[in-house]
Amino acid sequence: MAKEGLGLEITELRLGLPDAEHVTVVNKNEKKRAFSQIDDENSSSGGDRKIKTNKSQVVGWPPVCSYRKKNSMNEGSKMYVKVSMDGAPFLRKIDLGLHKGYSDLALALDKLFGSYGMVEALKNADNSEHVPIYEDKDGDWMLVGDVPWEMFMESCKRLRIMKRSDAKGFGLQPKGSLKGFIESAAK
Amino acid sequence: MMNYFPDEVIEHIFDYVVSHSDRNALSLVCKSWYRIERCTRQRVFIGNCYSITPERLIQRFPGLKSLTLKGKPHFADFSLVPYDWGGFVHPWVEALAKSRVGLEELRLKRMVVSDESLELLSRSFTHFKSLVLVSCEGFSTDGLAAIAANCRFLRELDLQENEVEDHKGQWLSCFPDNCTSLVSLNFACLKGEVSLGALERFVARSPNLKSLKLNRSVPVDALQRIMMRAPQLSDLGIGSLVHDPESEAYIKLKNTILKCKSITSLSGFLEVAPHCLAAIYPICPNLTSLNLSYAAGIQGSALVKLIHHCVKLQRLWIMDCIGDKGLGVVATTCKDLQELRVFPSVPFGDPAAVTEKGLVAISMGCPKLHSLLYFCHQMTNAALITVAKNCPNFIRFRLCILDATKPDPDTMQPLDEGFGAIVQSCRRLRRLSLSGKLTDQVFLYIGMYAEKLEMLSIAFAGDGDKGMLYVLNGCKKLRKLEIRDCPFGDMALLTDVGKYETMRSLWMSSCEVTVGACKLLAKKMPRLNVEIFNENEQEDCSLEDGQKVEKMYLYRTLAGKRKDAPEYVWTL
Repeated sequence: MAKEGLGLEITELRLGLPDAEHVTVVNKNEKKRAFSQIDDENSSSGGDRKIKTNKSQVVGWPPVCSYRKKNSMNEGSKMYVKVSMDGAPFLRKIDLGLHKGYSDLALALDKLFGSYGMVEALKNADNSEHVPIYEDKDGDWMLVGDVPWEMFMESCKRLRIMKRSDAKGFGLQPKGSLKGFIESAAK
Repeated sequence: MMNYFPDEVIEHIFDYVVSHSDRNALSLVCKSWYRIERCTRQRVFIGNCYSITPERLIQRFPGLKSLTLKGKPHFADFSLVPYDWGGFVHPWVEALAKSRVGLEELRLKRMVVSDESLELLSRSFTHFKSLVLVSCEGFSTDGLAAIAANCRFLRELDLQENEVEDHKGQWLSCFPDNCTSLVSLNFACLKGEVSLGALERFVARSPNLKSLKLNRSVPVDALQRIMMRAPQLSDLGIGSLVHDPESEAYIKLKNTILKCKSITSLSGFLEVAPHCLAAIYPICPNLTSLNLSYAAGIQGSALVKLIHHCVKLQRLWIMDCIGDKGLGVVATTCKDLQELRVFPSVPFGDPAAVTEKGLVAISMGCPKLHSLLYFCHQMTNAALITVAKNCPNFIRFRLCILDATKPDPDTMQPLDEGFGAIVQSCRRLRRLSLSGKLTDQVFLYIGMYAEKLEMLSIAFAGDGDKGMLYVLNGCKKLRKLEIRDCPFGDMALLTDVGKYETMRSLWMSSCEVTVGACKLLAKKMPRLNVEIFNENEQEDCSLEDGQKVEKMYLYRTLAGKRKDAPEYVWTL
């Protein structure tokens, strides 16, 4: 219920100023929390070298072999995540476990939201009105494609295809990271 | 005095020496012993398939019968080594086939095995008996069909944690009807259905079958018929234990199990309904080995209840959903425990799972423990000190704190003193994996006390170059060193370069090493292959000396640069 509500809130971003302000406030809070976490880590580590502390961003940690990850740790739990797109009047669910990489994901999103400009978003990401982002385990919104697929799969909680103009408000600088995947998939 | 004996007598004496390291030592004594050892050696272990060429191996040991080979670096298990890095077995099979060596056994780990390789293997060695594949990839059930069809004296087919492409279940039917020699069969890692009829007939005509590990497609009724036909089984892997407890099949299974007296090792339960576990309680008191690390369906009280019945366990692999309390039950029940592995049940660990409390309980209850792999949420120095005191016989101690840089949560101090206590108390330690917040102090302890250490894994630890130098200088027997995300740089890498020729390999990723230092090292030590992985998108970019190396893998070799490296691997 709560998650669904959050999902609805996300889709309601398109409606107007009052909701936008509300979400903006939430984002500011998130940023503050992230910043304070960074401070804590810096003070506790005591070294000037920055050690990665975001668990979902560390490839190969914890050191569980790939076979075990595939065959044991996801037993009985599909990797469904919700997907929303700004301007689309519905949510969809997608099973990340069924896809082998970003190319597959891009094609799947195309099937789900193609009629709402998804094709354009993926093929010309640099110029598109829409940018795919995802919320990770720590509640941070990240650009899809910035991290290795396995890492993404493990940390992705939900997906959103948002308008480029709003992306700046999230502090994200889209670089068209999915573009290469689409082109390679097309070959 | 020994040299007064004729060669035949010395040969006979050498036959009693079976350890690889002892055989190696024999061959160094004098030319005569070298020659005798060369002609009589039948079993060879090669820890890195690129350290020597197949041709040279065959020339050195013409009587070779059993070969064990390892391919990719260990970190391939954790997605740090690209899929197509190498580790191909085909050149080895080709060379062995061409030379007409009488190969009987082949054990492979982390190698790329193709169906063509398996086909060639199956046709080239008349008395081939044993194939063991661990964490291998690249083959399908078609390759297995060739092995089944052509290896007339096959005794062992053991497939562990392989990625196998499954082309339907006909491969079992390829065992000829007169094949009765099998002792061990493990296909638990296969995904597809198998021909149950073929499996049951095969089991029925294999009177020597001792070990059988099934995949999840084998249902309860087939399992029951198999157990009835093979009462001599001592090692059983159950693929699926899901059935209605009131059904005839389940009742039959229970009755069959009551007659089982020989099973001492149990594993699998890839699919299991907790209410069916009662069926196996009767065989639990005899178990010395239990592997439930893939049994995601067994949790909480059902798991603890099962453990209560296993009073003779020497080896236990479980998931962390057993919790600290469950480990307390293990500690009070399994007094003979020697090896324990606790794996995470969800990708980043369940905070309610195991902590230092569980490990301390185990150390108090299981004084014979000498091998540990422990994934946990947190660990304290006090706990490690207690564990070191209680269990000074550790040979393998692998601790994986799920938050890689977590300090002692009680004191917020690094875990240096805890690991220091482990290496100081456990003087026979051969393998160590570190995690949690650590400074160079821990490496000082390791260098000082870990005299027998052969393999060390380090992650997110240390302050600077000194840490690595303590290890390289202090650990005289070190063979494999794996380092990731540590601030070790060029000075650490270049100070004791001769050390690397006494080691099998060194892996460094996300450290402070530069391309220039690697080039210098490669130049100084021509018998080392220094590989840099350049996985950047820009394939044409040249490596500049000042650039940091993302991944470096270094190993000693008599074979020189390998010819099968992909484009992004630069062998300096």
